[in-house]
Amino acid sequence: MHLMKRTFSILLLILVPVLLATLAMFIGPSGEGGWESVLEWIRWKTGSPADAGTHPELTGLILWEIRFPRIMLAFLTGGALSLAGVAMQAIFRNPLASPYILGMSSGAAFGAALALAWGFMPPQASAFLFAALATFLCYLIAVRKKKLAVLHLVLGGIIVSGIFTALLTLVQYLSDPFKLQTIVHWTMGNLHNANNTKLWTSLIPAGIGVAGILIFRWRLNLLSLGDQEARSSGMNVPVQRGLIILLATLATSGAIAVSGIIGFIDLIVPHMVRMVTGADHRKLAPVSFVAGGCLLLVIDTLSRILGSYEIPAGVITMLIGAPVFIFILKRSKIVWGT
Amino acid sequence: MAVFSILLFTACFRSHPGETDSPGDAIVVEDFRGETLSFSQPPRRIVCLIESALSALYMLGADSLIAGVPQSVYKADLYPWYARLDVRISKREMPAPGNWDFVSLESLAAIKPELVIIWAEQTDVIENIERLGIPVYAVMLHSFEDVHKEIRDLGTITGREERARELLAFTEAQKKTFRRQISGEDRQRAYFMWSQGVLETSGSRSTVEELFQLAGLENVVKNQDEHLVINKETLLSLDPDLIIMWYNEKLDPADVMTEPGFSQMKAIRSKRVYELPSVFACDFWTLKYLNAARMVAQWAYPEAYSQNDSLLSESHLMDSLYQFHLKR
Amino acid sequence: MGDVKAIQLDKLSFSYHREELLKEVSAGLSPGSLNFLLGRNGCGKSTLLRLISGELKPTSGDIRIFGRSLHTLGSIERASMIGFLPQHYPMQLPLTVEEVVLTGRYRFSRLNPSKEDFRATLAVLEKLELLHLRTRNLGELSGGEQQMVMIARLLAQEPRILLMDEPLLHLDLSNQVRLAALLKTLGKEGMTILAVVHDPGFAMAVGSNILGLSNGQVEPIRQDDPDSLLTSVLSRIYKTEIDIHRMASGIPFVSVNLGAL
Repeated sequence: MHLMKRTFSILLLILVPVLLATLAMFIGPSGEGGWESVLEWIRWKTGSPADAGTHPELTGLILWEIRFPRIMLAFLTGGALSLAGVAMQAIFRNPLASPYILGMSSGAAFGAALALAWGFMPPQASAFLFAALATFLCYLIAVRKKKLAVLHLVLGGIIVSGIFTALLTLVQYLSDPFKLQTIVHWTMGNLHNANNTKLWTSLIPAGIGVAGILIFRWRLNLLSLGDQEARSSGMNVPVQRGLIILLATLATSGAIAVSGIIGFIDLIVPHMVRMVTGADHRKLAPVSFVAGGCLLLVIDTLSRILGSYEIPAGVITMLIGAPVFIFILKRSKIVWGT
Repeated sequence: MAVFSILLFTACFRSHPGETDSPGDAIVVEDFRGETLSFSQPPRRIVCLIESALSALYMLGADSLIAGVPQSVYKADLYPWYARLDVRISKREMPAPGNWDFVSLESLAAIKPELVIIWAEQTDVIENIERLGIPVYAVMLHSFEDVHKEIRDLGTITGREERARELLAFTEAQKKTFRRQISGEDRQRAYFMWSQGVLETSGSRSTVEELFQLAGLENVVKNQDEHLVINKETLLSLDPDLIIMWYNEKLDPADVMTEPGFSQMKAIRSKRVYELPSVFACDFWTLKYLNAARMVAQWAYPEAYSQNDSLLSESHLMDSLYQFHLKR
Repeated sequence: MGDVKAIQLDKLSFSYHREELLKEVSAGLSPGSLNFLLGRNGCGKSTLLRLISGELKPTSGDIRIFGRSLHTLGSIERASMIGFLPQHYPMQLPLTVEEVVLTGRYRFSRLNPSKEDFRATLAVLEKLELLHLRTRNLGELSGGEQQMVMIARLLAQEPRILLMDEPLLHLDLSNQVRLAALLKTLGKEGMTILAVVHDPGFAMAVGSNILGLSNGQVEPIRQDDPDSLLTSVLSRIYKTEIDIHRMASGIPFVSVNLGAL
């Protein structure tokens, strides 16, 4: 019975995203990617000649060069951000924590802006580097006498965010309106510029981060009890916490470097999932990954098809996320420790 | 610059002798990134995501090749003009898959374009379009010469070299009438104000500078930047004779004249603040810079230009460039 | 081997902000002994426990656990010998009781709990009569219940030594009795226990060995000393006048001499 339930859950975790992604493959703003065209493309792929007036080759391009990378990237980004949120909340023992509190989003935004304004390297690479740099700076600020003070880490995050936000404003100020618009667009989410190369660029760091957190997910239970408790049970807390933060940094910066700043997913998905699965990270972590991925996939698909002008996914997540978060704030316990 | 000239030269040279359509004599053009584009025949479906370049296509009479336009074309200040130029736009049937800051790849691909014209700065989008196997002509405009190159290139690509030469010859002729008229007079000093804010202006390496030179004015801003934000005190000390505003939805010349602290400036005291009245008709990323220059010149030197009728009026100029009389 | 101490403190000193909390403390606790540590607030009791748990490093001196120097032990090896119950502050953590107790098994399974870990967890919950709380969230429990769960977590770790900082905190009288009985049973099973308590009466009634900490020094308090002597020792340790009364059964009851106020 227990085994059956478990198998069922795992199946659900795989089937739901696969189904959603498949469905999303059939939906798009153009006439060349509707149900009929996709079916026509499948017929054409399986050897039937193309009907007159259809363009299976174009449909193939739209499916595999435009929709596929975008769908995968949306899923990966939503999943990675949610999972990093879960990890950060466990480590900081605070359900309000998110990877962004370490200044990652402002670091990434500044990095991307710098590259977009002066083009010394691809914005993705620059965003990744500066997101990682921001976290590293937080760490430098927070380490005192070789020990990591969690409160200092959070304060460090505020300071580092402040610095990078100021630098971002400076870059925007110095940029012409042309580049300024591109920068603003990037900071609102950039999924519409997905392609297969970017998918891979993102998949490598984000994948390592995600896999790592999933492997160590049970340890998050122990870490969320508190430092002394974890230490007493035989955990090397500074090393373990450093490792988890590193993995969360990889997951987050890998995702936002390509997808732009997607807010609130990392904060609300763990909360919503926790209401269903409870706080046991053995369940919470994988379910949050899948749920976050599915949520962003759905949001991005909506933004693809609603209207001729796409609303950046980051804007939608913010708009939906804020009220959901207020709802959660009203009904759940917010502080775990004392 | 040298390389640039050579490229221009080769582009001209290649398109010049033949005009035969043999397959070996492909259309070859180098865009503003330095990428070489070649076609065996003019692309039949062009998606142009730059409004100024779209104007160039209509000036060239390449209407039938246009398959997609930037979204801004449907905005209130541009729509009436383009509706006159193209029935598909007036009926709002022409697909608009994006503009200069955003492109829906899928909508773009669905148009099945054989060429996409887009700003060179949009590197992310360009990469994605090229991945789809669609050639991209990327544009970057820093000078009137760039505007001319764009006309020449687009003329070559669309097989309308003759019309391109005609447009450029017309432009040169028009420019000469300017130079004759302002010589001998004391040069007026002007400040250019972009719509983003009163302190946003352009320096000496910009189309604004060229516009001023054509109209016989001196730009008070000497920095080399194409776009910059200056200090309010600097502006006061530069003390321009007149202020030229780009089309501005938020501010009118009256607002600028009551701007706190500006009251002692020469331009304000003599109430010489002027706003270019139309994004379309004054666009100096197109040959319409002639129109903007005419307005600026008339504001700067009202006496000299009042008795002058060799300059074309706006409607005449528009008709010469777009050949409105041929449409419909 | 018979005289190897479970915990051996050897001229242990510890200073914090130039204040010398412990001055060359030497003491030995035998395996299976039930020890209570008494002392005034801030005299260094918690510090001593944190030193023995390895959380703090001594300024000088050495701590040996079953004959081995504490600092030579790795994290996991140390966890197999010492279980430390820090002073508990009630938490809102939404983990279930079973999941919390299961984390005590970290030293056995590093990535995922095994069947054996689940079995051991259930056994501990049963032993502490907490089975009915198994699926409840820790955050929903009272402070006393949370304390019992944290003690269960410690036992699931199966250490040989228990260090407990104020285990009676938040416990009502019935739970205090249950804890007393549990500690005695554990002692009989060979567990060495060192616990900080604030009630000398409880310590004398339950403990086999009582230590007083004052002025940076640890001194044994002998229960078979006459009450008059005990009174003066305790009064000195707490720097307050103490009265000792005896129940009919001989169990001591310690109170402050309120008459002196």
